[in-house]
Amino acid sequence: MNIIPQLIINSIIAGAIYSLVALGFNLIYGATKFFNLAHGVMATVGGYAVFVLSKVLGFHIGVSVILGVLCAGFVGYGLDKIVYLPLRKKRASNMILLVASLGVFTALEAIIAILFTSQFRTLAQHIGTQRIYEVGSAIITQTQVIILIASLVLMAILGFVLKKTMFGKAVKAVSDDEEVAKIIGINTNKIIGYVFFIGSAIAGLAGILIGFDTGIEPVMGLRLLLKGVIASIIGGVGNIYGGVAGSFLLGLVENFGIWKISAEWKDAIAFVVLIIFLLFRPKGIFQK
Amino acid sequence: MEYIIHLAILFVLYAILGVSLNLVVGYTGLLSVTHAAFYGIGAYATALLSTLFEVPFLISVLIGIVVAGFFSFLMGMVLSRFRGDYYALASLGFNVIMYSIFLNWASVTRGPLGIAGIAKPEIGGVLFSSNLLFLLLAAICLVGIYGISRFMVSSSFGRVLKAIREDETVITIFGYRTLDYKLVVFVISASMAAVAGSLFASYISFIDPSTFTVMESIFILAIIILGGLANIKGSMVGALFLILVPELLRFVGLPNDIAGYMRQFLYGIILIVLMLYRPQGLIGEYKL
Repeated sequence: MNIIPQLIINSIIAGAIYSLVALGFNLIYGATKFFNLAHGVMATVGGYAVFVLSKVLGFHIGVSVILGVLCAGFVGYGLDKIVYLPLRKKRASNMILLVASLGVFTALEAIIAILFTSQFRTLAQHIGTQRIYEVGSAIITQTQVIILIASLVLMAILGFVLKKTMFGKAVKAVSDDEEVAKIIGINTNKIIGYVFFIGSAIAGLAGILIGFDTGIEPVMGLRLLLKGVIASIIGGVGNIYGGVAGSFLLGLVENFGIWKISAEWKDAIAFVVLIIFLLFRPKGIFQK
Repeated sequence: MEYIIHLAILFVLYAILGVSLNLVVGYTGLLSVTHAAFYGIGAYATALLSTLFEVPFLISVLIGIVVAGFFSFLMGMVLSRFRGDYYALASLGFNVIMYSIFLNWASVTRGPLGIAGIAKPEIGGVLFSSNLLFLLLAAICLVGIYGISRFMVSSSFGRVLKAIREDETVITIFGYRTLDYKLVVFVISASMAAVAGSLFASYISFIDPSTFTVMESIFILAIIILGGLANIKGSMVGALFLILVPELLRFVGLPNDIAGYMRQFLYGIILIVLMLYRPQGLIGEYKL
């Protein structure tokens, strides 16, 4: 049996998920210039919000997903207002912001683990009855098709918003130079707050999609974050389109890597890629 | 009484980890999030040598130091090129790779099963079987490492490290090869962490990969940031505080698994609060 088509499909799906995380990470990095290590936990928050809404409270699945995405967005927005905004006002260095986000990540992961135990849970409604499509010698599940469509649609919408709207221009202005943006009358803190909301909501969606595809657990955030960060660095940090390209490249390398080596080494492979890029191409493949 | 000795031993171990990490983070200003990796290397060296080959404790400690030194040399070669947030990220990556090796190189490390039945240390015919004797041994190690660290930071070597922290470009212009200095301090710090690892393995007599995660590195980081960066005494204070406070949770009567997450939650909150209100820690001299 030819395994390559399946590997390609797996790579694309992994790439789609990573690009959702990388999109938000890059948006936030662009606007604030610090590595937000708490970004991955937003995915966990989104996943568990849907778990509570649909499985515990019995909401309709569509409603739960929308509320779950909003919930992740609001948590991100709240964190900006409670932690990062006061730090920015004090002109804290980006290392302080990084350590603070490390603290946020540590604390949030612990809260989720206390509330929901460290058990692995799935969001899928009817386990084992999903429709499966065959593409040549490869198979793809319905959930995975939805993941692909959702992430492509989202990327298109985000691209449109950033390019064509006043809000998008304001985000670009803040990313280019926050001081100047402030001088020409942009309320930069408000814009950064929105960026946190959007970025976290997209990460939340990534967590939810993973929950439907495989499942959620409290520690999933770190792994996702790292993949998103690695993808961002491959594509050039702060460059959201580069991040998407980096995500698909990372997906390919990981999935083809485990073709010859066993699957447990996926994370290590990802980091080897990171270190190679940091050494030889620290500004990413699309070096400006 | 046994319980207090147990806590004292934990304090000594974390004090060693804190003091050694402070050399890199506090004095040299490099935010390393990979200390648990070297802690793990020391622990695995002692565990494997003692269970498989019945190597005496002191020799296994020395081998642990050499192995940790070797790995940290390789990592340091890469890491020394970076600074700031990229350093933090790349070092975190090394922790993930090392953890992945502990977990997945099952033919040597026995993977998630861990290694049991590690012998208590025996030096010159004295078997450190009682916890009190063990505490004495660990305390001697701490005093030694404290002394070495003290000597290092007050020597001209230490002054160069601080200069690198304050302004690497300037000290390069003065003709110092900063890459070498960063590498040397990283290797020394890693070797000290390996000693703590060896002590830990022979004290608990069982180790598994879950002790040497990124989260553990964050705990150690929290200890030194709380105590104060660039202050060796501060790291001891931080270790004391962060060992004792979670123990109080035990008396509240929380179940064991929840208590673990409460500890994690607490560390996260401490990091956030410190960054917001006192980024130099309790008695630190340097702010990130």
